[in-house]
Amino acid sequence: MKRGHTEMKVCMLTWEFPPRIVGGIARHCYGLTRALVKLGHEIHVVTLEFPGASDFEDVEGVKVHRVKIELGHPNFITWTLIFNHFMEKKAAALSYLIDFDIIHVHDWLTTPSGITSKNFLNKPMVCTVHSTEVGRVQHLSSPDSYMIDGLEWWMLYESKSVIICSNFMMKEVVSHFHLPPEKVSIIPNAIDTHEYAFNVDREAVRKRYGVMPHEKLVVFIGRLVPQKGVEYLINAVPLIVRNHGGTKFLIAGDGWSRSHLESMAAATGYGNKIRFLGFISDSERIELLKSADVLVIPSIYEPFGIVALEGMAAGVPVVASNVGGLSEIIEHDRTGMLAYSENSESIAWCVNKVLSDQGYANWIIENAKKRVNEVYSWESVARKVSEVYEKTCER
Amino acid sequence: MGLRGYSMPDEIYFLCLLHNIGAISSEKSLSVDEISQWTVMDPQKVKENLEKLISTQYIQKTYRDGSERYHVTINGIRKVLSMYS
Repeated sequence: MKRGHTEMKVCMLTWEFPPRIVGGIARHCYGLTRALVKLGHEIHVVTLEFPGASDFEDVEGVKVHRVKIELGHPNFITWTLIFNHFMEKKAAALSYLIDFDIIHVHDWLTTPSGITSKNFLNKPMVCTVHSTEVGRVQHLSSPDSYMIDGLEWWMLYESKSVIICSNFMMKEVVSHFHLPPEKVSIIPNAIDTHEYAFNVDREAVRKRYGVMPHEKLVVFIGRLVPQKGVEYLINAVPLIVRNHGGTKFLIAGDGWSRSHLESMAAATGYGNKIRFLGFISDSERIELLKSADVLVIPSIYEPFGIVALEGMAAGVPVVASNVGGLSEIIEHDRTGMLAYSENSESIAWCVNKVLSDQGYANWIIENAKKRVNEVYSWESVARKVSEVYEKTCER
Repeated sequence: MGLRGYSMPDEIYFLCLLHNIGAISSEKSLSVDEISQWTVMDPQKVKENLEKLISTQYIQKTYRDGSERYHVTINGIRKVLSMYS
């Protein structure tokens, strides 16, 4: 026993874990597992290979096992089933050495291996839902989407406990999948605020990206996919530049919508003010956030929105769409600004307000930092996840 | 070409195929003929897509035993995975 928690042996299955970083799942698993280890749990992460990453790694006490995908297939659903098979094999091999208490899966991508492991080991499964297919694509239409939706239902059905990151997601999951609410725990995401506690040479960082000292800097960080709503920020650019002529816009991240968004940016007539950076490293990400004047999160669907916490911790005013988890993280006009969803005028209005009034911006920054430190720590999240593990094993 | 109801440029769809069949490192790189067989795509079309993706640094060309081989770069892997998350 340690700090009131039963120490457990956890087999966590996730398709992404650093350095394999796609979206929020990698960062979530990285933060959560290290915090769970600090509470005394033994955590084994089974994840996928990535160029340059070793097959096994001990990350601050977290045992990370990277699985090689030995077969491929052009169809992506088939590909996921194949890599799940290799994850199952790894989990089974580990089970001969470790008497796992619980299986924990993240999203549909590792559901097949989670269910197989659950039945093979006869141990309960917990799942964390980071987002749903019906939310990501907004409307189920393709066979692949129906398949993923079905896998998500299966994951929820087979899980003894379900962890969800926001009230918004709770409503979505309970209504769409007819899930009994008593099976669900709402536990928010978190960030490691220590990573943001350093001084950065803002001028040097901005210069690196071609932003002069007298210019304002607006940034977006995220995957370039439709649900992130980047087009609404791009369409807001002329409305912002009209008021703040010396403003530059940096769009960090990659995704299959990139070429479309680059064309859109050029069509605004302000292409010289909008720069696409592609994928940036974690250290670049933090430096950029700490050097920006505004972080814009124009999502049209966002189950949580961990990037909002990152902005708040970095001390940059956050302007976000009033959707999903963002509405719960940000208190409008106090810890950030909430713009109408899918509305470029509203985004521009919020950005202009922050850029026009440094006193207001500083007030928001202070409120936001305080809020993040009080509510969104990994230690607090890990304690809540521990309680879910304990209740799951007791039932 | 598309995935999950989204339409996307041909070369990005092609990048996904190349990733899914496992060409994600120099050891697992494939020739034009091998890619053509896996993707059921005309070799000329394969070459056109490869050239576009090399120019954007999502694909890298290497040489093994005197022949040209291709694999998805780390940035290419991230590009593909952004669609599945």
